[in-house]
Amino acid sequence: MISWFRQHGFALGAALVHLRKAPGSFLFNILVVAIALALPFMGLTLLDNVRPLSEQMSVDPEISLFMKQDVAREQSAALATPLRELMKDAKIIFVPREKALDQLKGKSGLSDVLATLGENPLPDSYIIKLDAFRSAAAGLDVDTLAGQMRTLPGVDTVQIDSAWVKRLAALIGVLKLALLLLAATLGTVVVAVVFNTIRLQVLTQREEILVSKLIGATDTFIHRPFYYTGALLGLCAGGAALGAVALALQPLNKAIAEFARLYASEFQLAPLEPLPMAGLLAVSAALGLAGAVLSVQRHLARLN
Amino acid sequence: MIEFQHVSKQYSADATALRDVSFTVNKGELVFLAGPSGAGKSTLLKMIAAMERPSSGKVIVNGQDIGKLKAAGVPFLRRNLGLIFQEQRLLADRSILANVMMPLMVTGQPRAQAEQRARAALDKVGLGERANAAPLALSGGEQQRVSIARAIVNRPQIILADEPTANLDRASADRVLDALRAFHSVGVTCLISTHDDHVLAGAARVIHLKQGQLQDAAQAEVAA
Repeated sequence: MISWFRQHGFALGAALVHLRKAPGSFLFNILVVAIALALPFMGLTLLDNVRPLSEQMSVDPEISLFMKQDVAREQSAALATPLRELMKDAKIIFVPREKALDQLKGKSGLSDVLATLGENPLPDSYIIKLDAFRSAAAGLDVDTLAGQMRTLPGVDTVQIDSAWVKRLAALIGVLKLALLLLAATLGTVVVAVVFNTIRLQVLTQREEILVSKLIGATDTFIHRPFYYTGALLGLCAGGAALGAVALALQPLNKAIAEFARLYASEFQLAPLEPLPMAGLLAVSAALGLAGAVLSVQRHLARLN
Repeated sequence: MIEFQHVSKQYSADATALRDVSFTVNKGELVFLAGPSGAGKSTLLKMIAAMERPSSGKVIVNGQDIGKLKAAGVPFLRRNLGLIFQEQRLLADRSILANVMMPLMVTGQPRAQAEQRARAALDKVGLGERANAAPLALSGGEQQRVSIARAIVNRPQIILADEPTANLDRASADRVLDALRAFHSVGVTCLISTHDDHVLAGAARVIHLKQGQLQDAAQAEVAA
């Protein structure tokens, strides 16, 4: 076990010695890989910030049905029966106009203004939650249902409340897929850059490799420093990319703060949590390692 | 210790390096391989180190059949061999001490212990005081003595030296040969190739090769 650690310590030391011999080249490679990693990291940070917004809201279709002001309470309450016939699985909640006013006062902080109105301006209403309609195709049914509700007696307005949330969720889904494709493409770029870096190192260290073989070095012993170099390159580039994203968030947040203020929001982009950051660093190191393994397998085999 | 049984090596239809070579080298022997350039001396040494495989026949080193040796076993075979080349093959980007430490680092020796043994090996070839010098700061003869130190630092059972005195002046060549004879005197088996008759003076056993064939069957079988 001690020997195993010693061998890895030697390999890491050998990798660092070779990196120290050409620091400019190593830093340039870090820069190239970091640029490739920064784009998906930034996308992931944005998604991570936006996703909770959509998750807090229901994406299940929700319909609000408002009665006409002059409709009697009994007539409003009686509408529950035809609504139930239209939608057997739906959750139908009757909201009397008094309760609606109380909720409005509680939520908006406009109780003083509402008090000056004298009488309740809100109509009786229904909130209908359609759990069964989750797919995009079902969206058409919601529209059809809303059309049928408008024909019921005493109904003033029918509003599909969750449509925009569905659109946002669908947009996030598309963005996720786009980010995945971007990450896969740029991940391949990272592997290619590391592959080429290690290829050049193998060429530079050709004589050392050949001498090592002649004095009894195993393939593992010879390969290991290159693996460390690849992983270190990925790790350093991942760190640099995360740093760049953190720096970019500051000017972005300034612009967002002005925009969000218009909607009375304090929304700000936050950097990723430590655990996802550690995960991204691990992925970066793994990509570097993968490039090194591929390069070593291909180029050192030619020296045998 | 080393046994060649009807060994031939053919690189292509019209390039044959060795033809039906058979001989035995016993433990502790000092054997010279003599012959002109292209006689097959280097190929023969390369086969012992598993750098080449025989086209036919058997090469047995320390009881291992080189023809059947798997790639993963080659490094472990070489750890029992000390290889010395005509062109030294020292790494110019590190000190001679670091060069001599390499075989020990490869086998996972602790650095402090490796350094101690490398310094002792350099002392034995008379270069202990120049341990921190760069290889290119040394003369050809000194570089060859560094390569001898690198070859013996792992205490190998066999030393294979391929034209170790070529390109050296007479005095340097004599010092290199003296160093090799010193290791032979403590029981290390040595196989040294040369085309220099001066090197062969006083040799107890010489195997002559010409165009890939043994020239002196009696010398080849002297220890068989």
